[in-house]
Amino acid sequence: MLRVRSIVLLPRRWKSGAKKRWNVLQNKKNNCDRALENFDDFYGSVYGSRWKNMRAALLTRHKYIALVNNFGDTEQTCSMLEMDGAINMKSLINLAQERLKETSSEPMPAQGQSRHEIEGKLDTLLRKQQEREVSSIYPSLGDDGLPGTLPQQLKFDNLEQKPKDELQEILPFEQSLTKALEEDVRLDENRLVDPQFGTGGLYEYMPAHSIKGMEDWVAESEHYKYYQTSADFPLKIEQETSFQYPEHLSLYTYEMGNCSDFKAPKKCLTGVLSHFMMDGGSTLPPLFLQVQPGERVLDACASPGGKSLVMLQTLHVDQLVCNDIQESRLNKLRKVMQEYLFDFKERWAGKRLIFSQSDARNLGDYDSFDKILVDVPCTTDRHVLNEQDNNIFKPTRIKERLRIPELQAGILTNCLRLLRPGGSLVYSTCSLSPIQNDGVVHMALQKAFAEHNITATIKDLSQQTALFSDVFKFEHPKGLKYGQMVVPYLPANFGPMYFSKITRNS
Amino acid sequence: MLRNVLFNVRVVLKQQNQLHRAKHLATPKILQLEQIHINEAIKLEPTLAIYSPEIWRRAHETFQNHGLETVNFLRIVTGNPAVLKRTPDKIINSLEIWRACQFGEHLLHLLLTKYPELLDITESHQLLEHIAFLKSRVSTSKNVWKLLMNSPDLIAQPEESLEEKLNYIIDVMRIEVPEIVKSASLALPFEEIRCRHQFLVRLGLFKPRPLKADPNDPTTNHKLYQITDTSEKTFATKICHVTLPEYEAFKELYTKELERQNKKSKDEEDFSDEDD
Repeated sequence: MLRVRSIVLLPRRWKSGAKKRWNVLQNKKNNCDRALENFDDFYGSVYGSRWKNMRAALLTRHKYIALVNNFGDTEQTCSMLEMDGAINMKSLINLAQERLKETSSEPMPAQGQSRHEIEGKLDTLLRKQQEREVSSIYPSLGDDGLPGTLPQQLKFDNLEQKPKDELQEILPFEQSLTKALEEDVRLDENRLVDPQFGTGGLYEYMPAHSIKGMEDWVAESEHYKYYQTSADFPLKIEQETSFQYPEHLSLYTYEMGNCSDFKAPKKCLTGVLSHFMMDGGSTLPPLFLQVQPGERVLDACASPGGKSLVMLQTLHVDQLVCNDIQESRLNKLRKVMQEYLFDFKERWAGKRLIFSQSDARNLGDYDSFDKILVDVPCTTDRHVLNEQDNNIFKPTRIKERLRIPELQAGILTNCLRLLRPGGSLVYSTCSLSPIQNDGVVHMALQKAFAEHNITATIKDLSQQTALFSDVFKFEHPKGLKYGQMVVPYLPANFGPMYFSKITRNS
Repeated sequence: MLRNVLFNVRVVLKQQNQLHRAKHLATPKILQLEQIHINEAIKLEPTLAIYSPEIWRRAHETFQNHGLETVNFLRIVTGNPAVLKRTPDKIINSLEIWRACQFGEHLLHLLLTKYPELLDITESHQLLEHIAFLKSRVSTSKNVWKLLMNSPDLIAQPEESLEEKLNYIIDVMRIEVPEIVKSASLALPFEEIRCRHQFLVRLGLFKPRPLKADPNDPTTNHKLYQITDTSEKTFATKICHVTLPEYEAFKELYTKELERQNKKSKDEEDFSDEDD
């Protein structure tokens, strides 16, 4: 390669450089560190000793699955991947299906039975966090051992909380975080000066109504309150019975423990790329959506397009609507589709593949989709631990981060409305947090019932995930209420990916 | 008063005598090399059978003159049979080389008995330089001796690789010299040490100590010898509490990660103006 620097002497700016003293460097905390600290605290108490295994896996590079492009030189690509030792997922599934038939499967533990464990954990976590927050604002209080007597909004006591809970059940979603912030601003009665004791002092003394610098302060513990468990809406959980692996879909992976890489995609004769590499966990939500020929499908938060592409490669989709909130994200998606779909401009764009740019909570095309994939924005656990850019643990984004469950529930509720009665959707996140997973599903179902009178059935996918257990490591269904989850595990470093299949009752 | 003191002295003397006798009984000192000893040694190491009694006697005398007991002589000879056929001059030479390292007679004998192969070293200058380098890093001769007792192959390792390992253990892992000399960590290749340490860090089981922390403060970190002196399986299951396949996968992934990092930094070198 011709190097410019070796030919011309370019003047280089001399910089005194950033501070390099050890105490500066050591005390510097970046977004990833913040995320890790938060996870250590939160997931450490949720997953116990298993968290460290997940932690190591999350901090290490993830594993890919190769999706073969049906619009390129399919057979050549397949044989190339097979030569490298990759295995076709279809054959693995077939083997697993036979094996399961032979050993008449024992009844899997029914879902949603023993979840009290996790509730208790979250409960103690919430309490701990609140105590910590109180003691950080009122340091003397913690020393006195009299927590929770001063600040109204941070008071937490099981006995006193109960009547509140009942109130919340009636109006569960009125108290969004924004509103809560506005409403909780009230004058502290203790600090008002009664005029009858002489008003003279009042001219000099102005009681403080807010603490300077604390206007934007949001308690971290607000986040944990999103996990509610009391169900006051009709809910049925039933076993999903059938699973068909799409005939034309070829996914290639290496067996568990094999950490080889795939070759980079090549250009095919048709001008498209030969295969798409994606995190293995991301292939499962579109697979379990089970798109049938001739169906109209929505991908509510589509970018960067991996899951949309899986659905298109099944060749079942009649029309796919890809929605995302930002133009830049949509452009990314458009680029991927252009790279992978043959005759993109003539045959796809605007006809079978429709792009829409809108907030998924505001989509208004009700009762019109057969299948919806709801891959909501989340804390993207793997991303925030490894990348500084676009990191949601940036201190200025704290409100956005704490409001994530609310956003997710909003999207999911709206998607339930978009679904044709009888249609089904898959809700997925790439987070390990029970709040963003089961908590949000619960919240959305409750909201959909309360506001729009929509009832739904949760499909228990535990028998289907058993087919994939050679490739993925799944969280034991015991700890999950409404869905299944791929957990990061070093020999099969996929995920995390939570997914829950919900069918709208007709 | 005087009687009391006298009495005490007598008691102490009596006890000492008893102790001395007990010690003597437990390990009777072999002073003379006898045919039985030679036969025993040959049984352990059959290649010794070719030497004549005269050679045996000569070598034994040389070692004995330099303060090594017969038992130790036998251990050395069975461990390194080639020593026996050397002329007394050569044996004395190699002993002198080691004596110059100044570990002290007793410790030196222990070291040589444990690793008789060390007597094969002939380059005195090189050895002294190497020992001096080690001493500069671990501060005392005794520490150098401890290092050698744990991992004798340090003698054969180039200074750069030792430097690299020591810098990593001291600067990155923040482990102090007394702990280093108690482990055989330096016998491992640098990559292995780094990989094990990184694995513990990512599991959240190893937290580097703050720079100003008191070295006597208790830590939850594992001791260095637990990290480095274990087989892969023990390390994974007993220290990290994960399964072996997980550790193996990590090793592979981590080497790849480093390769990618190196490649990336090489590519960036030519284009960036940044110094960091």
